[in-house]
Amino acid sequence: MRVRILQIVTVIAALGVWEVVARMGWVDPLFVPAPSAVAPALLKIGRGALAGLADTLGKTAVAYVLSVVLGVSAGVAVGSIRLLREVLSPYVIAFYGIPKILVLPWIVLLLGYGTTPAVFYGVLHGFFPIMVLVMGAVRDVDRTLVAVARSLGATTWQLYWKVLLPAIVPSVLGGMRLGVVFCLLGVLVVEMFAGVRGMGHVLGSYANGFQAPELFAATALVSAASIAIVLALDHLNDRLSRWRG
Amino acid sequence: MTVVGLRLGLLALFLAIWEIAGRKVNPLLGVPPSAVLPSLRDLLLLRSYPDLPASLWLTIREIGTAYALAVAAGLGCGFVLGMHRLVGRAWGPMLAALYAVPAVVWYPSLMLFFGLDAASKIAFGFLLGFFPIALAVLAGIRQVNPQLVVVARAYGAGTATVFRRVMLPAMLFTLVGGLRTGLVLCVIGVVVGEILGSKAGMGALINHAYGLLRTGDYVALVLVTLVLVVGSDVLASLLERRARRWTE
Repeated sequence: MRVRILQIVTVIAALGVWEVVARMGWVDPLFVPAPSAVAPALLKIGRGALAGLADTLGKTAVAYVLSVVLGVSAGVAVGSIRLLREVLSPYVIAFYGIPKILVLPWIVLLLGYGTTPAVFYGVLHGFFPIMVLVMGAVRDVDRTLVAVARSLGATTWQLYWKVLLPAIVPSVLGGMRLGVVFCLLGVLVVEMFAGVRGMGHVLGSYANGFQAPELFAATALVSAASIAIVLALDHLNDRLSRWRG
Repeated sequence: MTVVGLRLGLLALFLAIWEIAGRKVNPLLGVPPSAVLPSLRDLLLLRSYPDLPASLWLTIREIGTAYALAVAAGLGCGFVLGMHRLVGRAWGPMLAALYAVPAVVWYPSLMLFFGLDAASKIAFGFLLGFFPIALAVLAGIRQVNPQLVVVARAYGAGTATVFRRVMLPAMLFTLVGGLRTGLVLCVIGVVVGEILGSKAGMGALINHAYGLLRTGDYVALVLVTLVLVVGSDVLASLLERRARRWTE
C-alpha cells in the first residue's frame, strides 16, 4: 500500500517538477514542452499515431512469431546434439553479441525500404536471445532424467516430447519475454533509419520537424504500449508457472 | 580437436559461400571477402577516409564519457534504491518497467534536445548503460546475507567496514557483471546514435559510405568498428576475471 502511494507520488512529483521547469522557462519549450502541452498533443496526433503504432506492432508480431519458432527450434536442435553445440556455440554467442546496427545499412541495401527489412531486422534481434536461452536450458536438462527415460525404453521422439520440452518451458517463457522487447526494438530502429511508415518513422519525422509536444506524446504512446505488452507477458508467465506447479 | 577443425571448416565454408555469392550479385550490394581486403587496406592507410583516426577517437571519447556517467549514476541510484527498503520497493519495479521500453524510442527526443553533435550520443549511451548497472547493484544488495551484516555490526564494525568487508565481496559478482553489460550497451548506444544521425564519428563514416554505395568501404568501416566493440568487451572481461579472483 505504502509502496503504491510512493509510486504515485513519485510520478506526480516528476510531472510537477517538469511542468514548473518548463513554465519557468528554464528549458526551451521548443525542445522540452510542459506536460500540459504534451497532453493535448496526444489527442492531436491520435489517429495518425495509432495507425503508425498498429503498423509497428503488426511487423513486430510477425517478427516475434518467427523469432520464437525459429529460436526455440534452433535452440532445441543445437542444444541437444552435442557436436553441433560445441561447434556452433561460439558463433551463436558472437552473433548474439555484436551490435546488429552495423549490418543495418547493408540489410536496407538488400531488402529496400518498408516492411521486409523491418521484419528481418526484428527477427535478427529476437532470434538470438531466445536461441541462446533455450540452448543453455536444453544443455542443462538433468542427465538422470534422460538416462532413466532411455533405460525405460523411450524413443528419441518421446525423449524430446516428454522429457526435454517440459524441462525447458521456463527458459522458453523467459526467452519469449526478453525476445518481444528486442523484436520491437529492431522494428523501431529500421523504421527510424529507413522507414516510410510505422512509429519509428513517426518519431523521426516529429524530431526532424521540431514538433516537440507531438514527439513526446508519440514517445509516451510507444512506451506505454511496450510496457503493457511486457506486463501482459509477465502475467501470462505467472499464470503458466502456477499451472505447472 | 575435431571440434576446432569443424569450427574452422564452417568458417571457411561461410567465407567461400560469401565469396561466390558476392561475385555473382551486383557489386553495389555484395562485396566478396577478396574485395574487402583492398578496401580495408585503403582505409587503414587513410586513403579512402583520411579522417578515420579523428572519427575513431571521437567515438571512443563519446563511449568513455557515456560510460563514466552511466557508472556514476547507476551505482548511485542502485545504492540509494538498495539501502532504503521502501524506496527500493517503490522505484525498483518502475525502473524495471522503464527498462522494458525499447530504448531507441527515447533517441529522437534526445537528438532534439541535445542536437546532432556528441552530446546526444553520450546521452543515449548513458541511458542504455545506466539501467543494467543500477539493476545489478539492486540485485547485488539483495544477495547480501543480512545476518552477516548484523554479526559484523555486533562485533563493532562501522558502516565503511561493513560495506568493504561484508557487502562488497558478497555482491561483487553481480555488480561486475552489470558493469560489463553496461559497457557493452554503452558502446552499442553510441554507435546506434551515430548511425541514426550524426555529423562525425564512426557511425557518420559508415552512413557516408552506405549513402554513396561505397559498399567495400562500408564493410571495412564496419570491421574497424567491430574491433572497437570487441576490444571494449575483452577489456571488461579481463576486469571481471580480476574481480572474481579477488573474491575467491
